[in-house]
Amino acid sequence: MNARKYLALTRAGIIQELQFRMGTFITVLGNLIYLTLVYFLWRSIYASSPTPVVNGMTFNDTIIYLVLATALFNFLEMYLVWNISRKIQSGEIVMDLLKPMSYRKLMFFTFFGDNITTFFLTFLPTFIVVFILTKGAIPVGTNLIWFVISVGGALLVNYFIDFFVSTISLYTESTWGINIVKESIVLLFSGATIPLVFFPEKLRVVVKCLPFRCIYDTPLNILLQKDGYTPGSGMWTMLGLQLVWCVALCALTGIFWNFSVRRITVNGG
Amino acid sequence: MKKEIDQAIVMENVVKEFKVLNRHEGLRGSIRDLFSRDYRTVTAVDNISISIPGGQIVGYLGPNGAGKSTTIKMMTGVLEPTSGNLIVNGCVPYKNRTKNCENIGVVFGQRSQLWWSLPLIESFRLLKDIYLIPDRQYDEMMKLYSDLVDLEPLLHKTVRQMSLGQRTLSDILAAFLHDPKIVFLDEPTIGLDVSMKAKIRDLIKELNRMKQTTVILTTHDMGDVDALCERIVIIDHGRMIYDNDIDHLKSYFGSYRILKVRLPGDIWEETVIDESKTDVMSVISDYQKKGKLLDIKLEEISTEEVIKKIYENETNERKKISGIDKSRDNTGIAV
Repeated sequence: MNARKYLALTRAGIIQELQFRMGTFITVLGNLIYLTLVYFLWRSIYASSPTPVVNGMTFNDTIIYLVLATALFNFLEMYLVWNISRKIQSGEIVMDLLKPMSYRKLMFFTFFGDNITTFFLTFLPTFIVVFILTKGAIPVGTNLIWFVISVGGALLVNYFIDFFVSTISLYTESTWGINIVKESIVLLFSGATIPLVFFPEKLRVVVKCLPFRCIYDTPLNILLQKDGYTPGSGMWTMLGLQLVWCVALCALTGIFWNFSVRRITVNGG
Repeated sequence: MKKEIDQAIVMENVVKEFKVLNRHEGLRGSIRDLFSRDYRTVTAVDNISISIPGGQIVGYLGPNGAGKSTTIKMMTGVLEPTSGNLIVNGCVPYKNRTKNCENIGVVFGQRSQLWWSLPLIESFRLLKDIYLIPDRQYDEMMKLYSDLVDLEPLLHKTVRQMSLGQRTLSDILAAFLHDPKIVFLDEPTIGLDVSMKAKIRDLIKELNRMKQTTVILTTHDMGDVDALCERIVIIDHGRMIYDNDIDHLKSYFGSYRILKVRLPGDIWEETVIDESKTDVMSVISDYQKKGKLLDIKLEEISTEEVIKKIYENETNERKKISGIDKSRDNTGIAV
């Protein structure tokens, strides 16, 4: 397809996001408060443990992981569900449906501009600060390349999950509850709030079969070169799994959306 | 530039029904509604057939809730008709929504398709890329726009800083930007002041003339109709009740005129003349027989009154028309 129209949307997304730069500062401030909480919570968890290594992670490992997870969250979270449900409720979605392109692409490329902006404004600075402060705790090598690729996969998986939930809001019209449930599930089962190694064995087996882990667990552990995520020990499986989920979710959201929009166009909305 | 397809829109027996949940009142009713399967069918558009040739400006009128927006949404491909055929620019809109969207432009008076926090020029550039408008065509269009309206001060303003009038104007320019074959204007002059309305009417008229664009206009402002529409379609309760040009509309209830005469003592007297029964001259000579006439005014009945009459008439289930002068008193608008 013609890339020109999609690039234009992304460009506009970046310009639009930059207009609200105050929001970025507030986000950074909020992160600091959240991370202070995380720091003291995990410090007491480690203090109550007899060994300095819990589930194969030291205190430093855990904090680095969680700080980067927060930065990644800021970069990946586009509040797509809020945006789309608001458009549906106000009827503004009609204007988007009148654009000569599929709604899924229109939304993706518009919000991709946000992604790019927040990547440079929040993720990259956080990464550099963590990198300097921890003095070499983050390995630097080809893992950075795999990390970036894996973040791309995470972005798509996250987008498709959001889009799927947004589609549900075509039916429910009120989305607050659904969105809260979605956010909780994604943040918990993706390893954004608690690293997956801390999960009970049985739950972990289930969570590893779900797509959510592709969003935070996979890229972060590839970056930190954890066991099972290095090129020698299963990184390819992890990247492959991301790819499989991308394709599967892409097909699923496409079918679900087309079916739902048809239903809306038949019954009106 | 002439458009190849001579019929821009063809509708044949188009019907649109909605399934609506029967809602109950109160808390208990709301809870019951959660599990209710109690639907009723509402017919928003009932068996409408129209064909609109390219290049025409058609006024699509009807009281609130008559089914105008539903029809427009079907024509744009956002809604699927329940039955009947609908062809827009030679294709079925809801089946090829994306393709259909390349050839139409839409302005909903209450919404904007522009990017809220971007300057207008950025929105235009974005639309240029989205609709894949060639550079030359874009430049020509921008030149045409700056000839027609005072574009320069608008271009660098963000849409959220604009007044309603400026925003509507910008939205209309945006809708015509990719030189679509059809532009749908849904109440474009709603909430605008008199001079802005005039500006927007001129703009629509010019663009229609120069680009041969078909324009489908819904409005409640009869000034729009008088200024723009060659043809008028009126629907009510989803049914088409009138489809003809504006001159025929005035004679819809027979040809009426209003005669005002000034009698000695500075008294104005008004008579509504039904030209099928009598004519103006004989009424004047009747007056002259009674006494001296100081002044005479002869006025046409306005579109507004005729339309009002049609709406009312439809509601009264074609009750006998009991003199058009009655509705005049109610409107309170000087003719």
